[in-house]
Amino acid sequence: MLHQRITDMKILIIEDELSLRQTMIRSLEKERYLVESASTYQEALFKISDYDYDCIILDIMLPGGSGLSILEELKTLHKKDSVIIVSAKDSLEDKIKGLNLGADDYLTKPFHLAELNARVKSAIRRKQQSGELQLVLENICIYPDKHSVFINDNELILNRKEFDLLYYFVTNPDRLISKDTLAEAVWGDYMDQADSFDFIYSQVKNLRKKLKTAGALPEIKAVYGYGYKMVAE
Amino acid sequence: MKLVQYIYRNLYVPLLILLTIWAYSFQRVIIYEINDETNTSLRNYKNLIIKEMLSDPNQIKDHADVMNRHFIREIPAEEADVSKDEIYDSVTYIEIEDEYQPVRVLRTSFLATNGIYYELTIEMSTVEKDDLIRTVWWSILILYTSLVCCILLVTHQAFKKSFLPLFNIMEWLKKYHPGKPVPPLENETVIEEFEILNSSIAKAAKRSSQLYFQQKQFVENAAHELQTPLAVCINKLELLSENPDCTEEQLLEIADLNKTIQRIVKLNKSLLLLSRIDNDQFPDTKMIRINDIVKTILYDFEDIFQKDGPQLQLEEKQVLTYQMNEALAFTLLSNLIKNAYLYTPRNGKIHILIDQHTVLIENFSGDETPLDTDQLFERFHKNTKHHDSTGLGLAIVKSIAQLYHIQIKYTFRNGHQFFLTFP
Repeated sequence: MLHQRITDMKILIIEDELSLRQTMIRSLEKERYLVESASTYQEALFKISDYDYDCIILDIMLPGGSGLSILEELKTLHKKDSVIIVSAKDSLEDKIKGLNLGADDYLTKPFHLAELNARVKSAIRRKQQSGELQLVLENICIYPDKHSVFINDNELILNRKEFDLLYYFVTNPDRLISKDTLAEAVWGDYMDQADSFDFIYSQVKNLRKKLKTAGALPEIKAVYGYGYKMVAE
Repeated sequence: MKLVQYIYRNLYVPLLILLTIWAYSFQRVIIYEINDETNTSLRNYKNLIIKEMLSDPNQIKDHADVMNRHFIREIPAEEADVSKDEIYDSVTYIEIEDEYQPVRVLRTSFLATNGIYYELTIEMSTVEKDDLIRTVWWSILILYTSLVCCILLVTHQAFKKSFLPLFNIMEWLKKYHPGKPVPPLENETVIEEFEILNSSIAKAAKRSSQLYFQQKQFVENAAHELQTPLAVCINKLELLSENPDCTEEQLLEIADLNKTIQRIVKLNKSLLLLSRIDNDQFPDTKMIRINDIVKTILYDFEDIFQKDGPQLQLEEKQVLTYQMNEALAFTLLSNLIKNAYLYTPRNGKIHILIDQHTVLIENFSGDETPLDTDQLFERFHKNTKHHDSTGLGLAIVKSIAQLYHIQIKYTFRNGHQFFLTFP
C-alpha cells in the first residue's frame, strides 16, 4: 500500500554532474518515484515554475547560478515542494544558510544512496501533514516522531540504535545496504575504522531476533561480507 | 642580546682602548711640555748667572734659594766643554723639609774672566712628576667615566629616537598573522632606510596574506571538488551491489572498494577540517562543560568499543568548563578517546581524569615503548599498527588545542598519557 502511493510522487533532481544525476535517478526510480532532472540553473527554474514536485533534490553549485537562488524563487512562487540540499560544502554555516532559506534537509556529498532514499522518504512524509505520519512495511509500522514500532498492532520495544537500524531498513526495503552505510547512518562519523564492524553484527543480530519473536513478516537477510537487506515477503 | 646592548658593547670597548691611548699620550705631552719649559728656564737662568759672574768675579760662589740652587766648581780646562749643556732629572736633599725633592739639573762649564774654567750646576725645583702623573690619570679616569656615561646617555636617546620606526615595525609584525585582519602599518619616518623597510614589509605581508588565502581557497576547493566524483563512485558501487546478478565474490570486492573510497572521503574531510581550524572558521564559541562532552563521547562509543573491550575508568574530580566551539571540543576529545580505545587491547585499561584545568587520558596497553613525541602530532605520522588510520587525528587535536591555547602534552608512564591543560 505504501508502494501504491509512492508511484504518484514526483521528484526533481537538480544536479549538474551527469554521472551523479544518473545514479540518483536510477536509485530513486527503483523506489518507483517519478523522477525528472535538470542540469542547469535555467532548466531548473523553468521546471520548478511549471510543475509541482513532492521533493526537490538540489545541488547548490550549479552552472548559471546558485542553488540558493532557486530556494528563494520557490519561496516567491509560494511553492510547498520539499527541498533536500545536496552539497559538497559541509560547514555548519552553509547548512544553516540553506535551512534558513527554506530547505527541509541538507545532505553532504558524498552520500550513500540509501541515505538519500531515507531522507527523501522522510521529507515527503513530513510534507503530508494531513496524511499518516507512520511508515509501513507489511506488518511493521513505525512512528518516527514518537520513536515507536508496532508489529501487528503490538508495540515492540527497541533501544535507540536498534530503532535507528530498523528505520533505515524500512525506508530502504529490498535494497542491499552495506555495513559502512549502516554504521555511518546510525553511529555517525566516528566510524572511520572500517575493520571494527563487529558491533554492527551484534546489533543487527539483536534486532533480527526481536523482529522474529514479535512475528514481523519482513526479514533482515545478511549478505556475507557486505551488508544486509530487508526482504519483504 | 638586545640591539641597544649590542651597540653599547660595541661602543664602550673601543672607547676604553682609545681613551687609554689618548690618556697615555696626553700624559706624555704634559711631561714633555713641563720638561721643555723647565729646560728653557734653566738655560735662561744659566745665561743670567754666567753673565753676572763674568761681570763680577765676586759672584762666583754657590747660591741657594727656595726654587733654585747653583754650585760652582773649578775644573781643569781639558774637562771643560763650554758648548755643552747637560740637563737631567735628579733629586736633592732639602734640610728644612727633611726630604728629597725632585729637581731638574743643568750642568755646564764656562771660562771666567780670570781664565779659570768653572763647572756650573743649576738645580731647579720642579713639580713632583709622580704626583702629576697620578693626578693626570685620576682626572682621565673620571673624565673617561663621565665621558662614557654621557656618550651612552646620548647614544641611548639618539638610538631610541632614530630606531622608533624599527620598533614600530617590530610591534606590527608581532600582531601580523596571515589570514587575520591586521591594522595598516602606520609608521611615518623621514629615514630613507626605514621607509624602504616599511614598504617592503607591507608588500611582503600583503603577498603572504594573498598566498595564504589562495592556498586556503585551494585546499577547500580541492576538497570540495573531490566530493562529487567520490559521491559518483560510492553511489555507482551501491547500485552495482544491488544488482541481483552480483556474486558473493564480486560483493566482497565491492565492499573492499567501498572501504577504500570511504578512506579517501575521511581523509578529504579531515584535511578540510584541518584547513578550517587553521583558518579559524569556527567563530561560534560558548562555555562548554568538558565533563558532559566526555560522557557523551563515552556513551556513543559504548556500542562500538566497550563490548568486551578494555576496562574504562572515568574519574571526575572537578567540573571543567571552557569557552570554545562545541563541535571542535567534541572532535578534540573524541579523537583522543578513540585513539585510546584503538590502541588498547581487550585486557587493557583506559583511565580518564577530569580536574579543574586538566583532562588526562591514559591507556595501559601493555606496550612498553613510548611514542615518538616529535612526530606524534605531525600530519600523516602513522603508527604502523593501524593501516586504516588517516594519520590526521592527532594533527587535528593539535590544531584545535593551538586554536584555543590549550596545552597538550604526551608522556609515557607505564602507559600512554595525554594531558590537556586548559588555561
